[in-house]
Amino acid sequence: MNFFPSLCLNFGSRKLKNRFALVALALAAWSPCLVHATVDDALSFAYEAALPYYKQGFSIRKDAWGGDLGVREKKAVSSQLFKGNNYWFLMATDLKGATLSVHIYDDNGNLVDAESWQKGRFAGARVSPKATGTFFAIVQILKSPEDRTPWALVYGYK
Amino acid sequence: MLHSEPSLGEGIFSRFPMHPLICLNAAIACLLLFTSPIARADTPPKKISLSDFPAAAVEEVVVPVPSEIFAVLDKLGNPNWKGQLRDGKTRTPEDRARIALLLGNVIAEGFVAVEAEDAERVKELGRQVLTLADGINVRKSVIARSKSITDKADQRDWRGVRAEFDGALQDVRGAMQELNDQDLSQLVSLGGWLRGTEVLTSIVDGGFSKDGTELLHQPELVNYFDRCIGSMGGRLRKNPLVASIRDVLRKIGPIVSEGGDKITPEQVKSIHDLTHGVNQQIVEGNTGN
Repeated sequence: MNFFPSLCLNFGSRKLKNRFALVALALAAWSPCLVHATVDDALSFAYEAALPYYKQGFSIRKDAWGGDLGVREKKAVSSQLFKGNNYWFLMATDLKGATLSVHIYDDNGNLVDAESWQKGRFAGARVSPKATGTFFAIVQILKSPEDRTPWALVYGYK
Repeated sequence: MLHSEPSLGEGIFSRFPMHPLICLNAAIACLLLFTSPIARADTPPKKISLSDFPAAAVEEVVVPVPSEIFAVLDKLGNPNWKGQLRDGKTRTPEDRARIALLLGNVIAEGFVAVEAEDAERVKELGRQVLTLADGINVRKSVIARSKSITDKADQRDWRGVRAEFDGALQDVRGAMQELNDQDLSQLVSLGGWLRGTEVLTSIVDGGFSKDGTELLHQPELVNYFDRCIGSMGGRLRKNPLVASIRDVLRKIGPIVSEGGDKITPEQVKSIHDLTHGVNQQIVEGNTGN
């Protein structure tokens, strides 16, 4: 787990004290099962993006998904979602200058985002499934200073 | 706040006198902004072809944690959860595959006990989680969880207990994967899913709510578990209990492929009987072979 030291570096500012709290959340929630070491930092940012929703009562999954993608390259993460729940998918990268997006599609390929946002290295999409079934979070790197961009995706539900 | 709506352009043009050059610059800026790749890409296509994603570009299905399903059940009503609780204490088997399946089963049972608000049963199940984890060398990963389950059950902090059972499931799986026991880790998830499905179908069958049937529409998940067993080592795949579960999955698969509203009461009962049968084998160790 290498994100803890990196996030303690600038602990002096208020912003980074908040970051420290986020790391505590990330540490509490981190699961090594599906995440490679190269995306640990991206994962800490993904948990940062998830924090406001955690505060709104969303349970953030302890599993996370990640890897690296080239610019404009897309990946689909398939999920079993249940009608009656609300879900937020949060994606992030630690790479400064990179931008990315996440959007949710049903198993017929229809966009089902109830809302979505994209801000620099963070992106999020909310879905309230109209039916229980398989959904696909389509993640994409929009812009990056590097050939490959590490990314991580987490989701929460309530 | 990261998720707040961006306030692009808010008040810019009303606060300052408009010099023609400023207007021109602003127009160019707007043009650049809305024709840049970022702005275009942030408007996702309304429809995509999923066949454009080769297998390598699709992550395996994300297995839901039990509390995702129980969160929905909470909203559907208040069935007789006490009636769903399984009696008795389980013994730790010798077969590691069965231990893993039983561990998942017991964790799912923990959620039922939480719904029934049965603190003593919750604590008992918390202790069973620890004992079973010991049987597959991952005791250390759940010691703290087991204690928290007991503490939170005493405080009747049901949401907290749920989080601890979820956490126990994740921690056990994580610890197994660190030990390169991926297959057993999958069996823990599968054991939890089987017990959860047995309870869910019992509730739906009992007329609790037709909306509950909707929750059974899990085709990819069932296929995923089937694929997991298919990719396990020969010895594990041929384990009579595991083989029996795969049989059950293949019978359930076509039923849950239907839309949730198309699943009939007879099919719900059939899924219940299948999962009940295989869960009994997990608990009692009798595969009938």
